[in-house]
Amino acid sequence: MVAHARELDPFECCGLLAGSNGTVRHHYRITNTVAKDARAAQVFEEAHVKGLSHLPDMTRAEVAYFMDPKEMLAAFKDMRQRQLDLTAIYHSHTGSPAYPSSTDIGLAYYPEAAYMIVSLQKKSQPDIRAYWIRDRQVVPAEFHSI
Amino acid sequence: MIKVRIPTPLRPLTRGQGEVEANGASVAEVIADLDSMHPGLKQRLYDERGELRRFVNIYVNEEDIRFLKGKETALKEGDEMSIVPAIAGGR
Repeated sequence: MVAHARELDPFECCGLLAGSNGTVRHHYRITNTVAKDARAAQVFEEAHVKGLSHLPDMTRAEVAYFMDPKEMLAAFKDMRQRQLDLTAIYHSHTGSPAYPSSTDIGLAYYPEAAYMIVSLQKKSQPDIRAYWIRDRQVVPAEFHSI
Repeated sequence: MIKVRIPTPLRPLTRGQGEVEANGASVAEVIADLDSMHPGLKQRLYDERGELRRFVNIYVNEEDIRFLKGKETALKEGDEMSIVPAIAGGR
């Protein structure tokens, strides 16, 4: 996740982690299409979280992410074939702390997945944190590296 | 029958089932049939104007219905329909 975030910095990266019984076994990098998909701005506006339409395309990917829907579908299909569940949804914050923004909270439609954020605010010291976001309530989620 | 994949946020409405079956000749008809069996589902998928909510992606046999005929996309016996909420956010 850190490598992914660093590769795309200053743009936000995003992806999915799948596993079983809470143990991650597979990592999917998903393309951030916020700058390319016209519907992304509509989704943000529908949720009343962030106006994107006034931002130039390139800037949008520095402050937001929108997972490529086709890649998401393929990832979910692959999870079913591997008999894995969606464990976590991650993205990077390239210049802000690893805490969910109001945008992240307003667009959190997957209560069963931990939301992980990789902050590159301190470039040499990436900070990774995880949260449960349910009914707009944010609760830190524990995780361990094994 | 059409096989419909239900995303986890909607499974409380389908008694936890990730796959259900429904009848209908279009996406809208299948959603109506699903709603008759699992009340509340339609309300989660449509906005107050009766249009599909923007964050709801629906696929028929892996094709995004936005690039077909939206909720009027035709379905036939054996087709698979997937409902996948968008994943998005930002700082």
